[in-house]
Amino acid sequence: MAKGNEKKHRKSVSYAKWAYIFITPFFITYILFTLIPQFLTVYNSFFENYRNGLEQVGPNFVGLGNYIRLLTPDKSGTIDFLRYLGNSLAMWIAGAVPQFLIALLLAVLFTSTRLNLKGQGLAKTIIYMPNLIMASAFSMLVFSLFSNVGPVNKFLIEAGILKEYYNFFATKISVRTIIAAMNFIMWFGNTTIVLMAGIMGIDQSLFESANLDGADSVHVFFDITLPLLMPILSYALITSMIGGIQMFDVPQVISNGKGTPNMTSTTAIMMLNNYLGISKNYGMSGALSVLLFIITGILGMFVYRSLAKQYKD
Amino acid sequence: MKKLLSILLVMLMVFTLVGCAKKEEAPAEEEGEGKVFHIYAWNEEFKGFFEKYYTVPEGIEVVWTIVPNEGTQYQDALDLALMNQDSAEADEKVDMFLAEADYILKYTNSPYTQDIKALGVTDFSNTYTYTVEAASDADGVVKGVSFQCCPAGMIYRRSIAEDVLGTSDPDEVQALVSDWTKFDEVAAKCAEKGYYMTSSYAEDYRVFSNNTSSPWVDANNNLQIDPAIQTWMDQAEAYVNNGYTLTSGVWDAQTTEQAAKDGKTFCFFGPAWYYNFCMGPAFGDDAKAAGTDTIGDWALVEGPQAFFWGGTWLLAATGSDNPTMVADVMNAFINNEEVCENLIKNEAQFTNNQKINNKYAEDPDFGNAYLGGQNDTAVFAKGAKNIKFQNQTIYDQGCNESIQTYFVEYLQGNVTKEEALSNFYKALKEKYPAINVPEA
Repeated sequence: MAKGNEKKHRKSVSYAKWAYIFITPFFITYILFTLIPQFLTVYNSFFENYRNGLEQVGPNFVGLGNYIRLLTPDKSGTIDFLRYLGNSLAMWIAGAVPQFLIALLLAVLFTSTRLNLKGQGLAKTIIYMPNLIMASAFSMLVFSLFSNVGPVNKFLIEAGILKEYYNFFATKISVRTIIAAMNFIMWFGNTTIVLMAGIMGIDQSLFESANLDGADSVHVFFDITLPLLMPILSYALITSMIGGIQMFDVPQVISNGKGTPNMTSTTAIMMLNNYLGISKNYGMSGALSVLLFIITGILGMFVYRSLAKQYKD
Repeated sequence: MKKLLSILLVMLMVFTLVGCAKKEEAPAEEEGEGKVFHIYAWNEEFKGFFEKYYTVPEGIEVVWTIVPNEGTQYQDALDLALMNQDSAEADEKVDMFLAEADYILKYTNSPYTQDIKALGVTDFSNTYTYTVEAASDADGVVKGVSFQCCPAGMIYRRSIAEDVLGTSDPDEVQALVSDWTKFDEVAAKCAEKGYYMTSSYAEDYRVFSNNTSSPWVDANNNLQIDPAIQTWMDQAEAYVNNGYTLTSGVWDAQTTEQAAKDGKTFCFFGPAWYYNFCMGPAFGDDAKAAGTDTIGDWALVEGPQAFFWGGTWLLAATGSDNPTMVADVMNAFINNEEVCENLIKNEAQFTNNQKINNKYAEDPDFGNAYLGGQNDTAVFAKGAKNIKFQNQTIYDQGCNESIQTYFVEYLQGNVTKEEALSNFYKALKEKYPAINVPEA
């Protein structure tokens, strides 16, 4: 009897051991390729370290010098790093607002048992499609569509709407609209799928009892779906915001890496890319990354707090 | 089914192993030189000539790595390869790489290139002096050769010249545009008749940037804007305001489309490679098929000021495992008369061999069909001797690209002149931390 018990006990222990063994590879890769580089980034941000032509300058310890330079306002009083970060956020918000509204609407429609829409599978595949295209390829496509000699301008001129070509890439509002619209098209499908998973995780009996009690769909949405969806919604919102702060490929390709007009489509990561480009300026780019990390953390916390608080009870 | 799949997988694995083993058994190197000749380039131009006219020694495989030039992509890739040169496998080492005038200094003045005289390239009697100066380091050690010489000129549309100036004869047109004041007068006349003088605000940028009296960055690493660049900015502003030119960049489709049949532009600026390769809408196969080409409607003159643009240098990488072949390729493209003649005859190049160029310059039957049979080699041969390679810095590509990018925003009316220059300074400072820029 005692023997049998001992056997059982040992068996359960060895299972746990296997679980640890199975997850070790992840932790090893994570430490090697993510955690250590992250610490190195912080370390590098305190050094002057770049290449002038083929000649290496530094690394020389400069303390907070790189941070100070990054946060020193220019002659007109603007801090470029914050301005570029503002560009990223402005373009993210312009794309994210319609992205979340439409994704919410679609997610509710697709999961509604009352409507029970047909052809959902196809619709879901199609709205997800743009996300499968490489962002840079998509940008190239849009760039040639809207270029001065591109089909959009040709169409507008031939239809008599414009007299001569309109340079879409020379005006702040049109460049930003194009970038935000591209981000929206690429991501609303993905958000829809995530939110649908969230809605389907809600207990169906809640919807049924609400229906029995005579609640209309507006009430069901605001009083049942939305509060119970909040954890998933804030997750989707925060990941989207992190993606927005790290916006790079679309504006980079659309503006040919120049962030024109007047640097209004330059994002923080494009600035990072300029530092890392020819001169491999690890000092400045390290400092920029650290600042970005801190700001992302603060903003993420802020979004999470404000959403979670509202629906805590 | 499962069994079949696993047998297939096992077989696949065994075959891959066998495949690997075979590769390793490849015969050992002969004569101590490598079997793989590795060339870095930024476009297919030289690759085409190399494959057509250079006979690769038997048993050697030529591997090309081609990365686009714009921004600094090519240099980034090349720098990485050169810095890893010591630790790279013999067959992976860069043997030869291509460089442009804008950044050749960076490589010649570095230990990553080697003395080609020591490798066996010793005869420079026929090359143009500036091409050798450009490939030499500060102590005069020659590190490479150019396979082309790039004197440039003004390429004008004969039919528009006839309409505006009443003549399309190159000598008479040259007399009418021989300095910038006269050039402005012609621009005004073109505008009266509804033509553009140039198709881009930066079309003649290289004429000015090539005739500067000081480098972009002085000895103390301070950025300076040369009076010639200043003149260009004033001209670009005036031309845009007067409707003499457009605000699209030199490489934009809108600019090159002006060379097509319904284009309204009087002239372009560039060397042989420009009108042979970059004016697609004028001469390209698509244009020919569509009947919108303008072959024969062009002519070449020196223009207001002599200048050169670009040129492709072949540099010998330090650590190459194929030094004999490096020297052989270089000699072939500057001293092998057959190769040089082919480049002129078949490829419309202006070569880096004065003897061959002069032979064709004096040939009354030789001409370029694009230019209505005009002998462009004769025009270039005159200008090439006077080219000087001066006032260059390792920052030139960034400076030349950025000033055009950010100044045009002022011309388009998006920013003030101060903002445009401030954006230019900031972009440079991000790219090149070592340069001191004016407070922006």
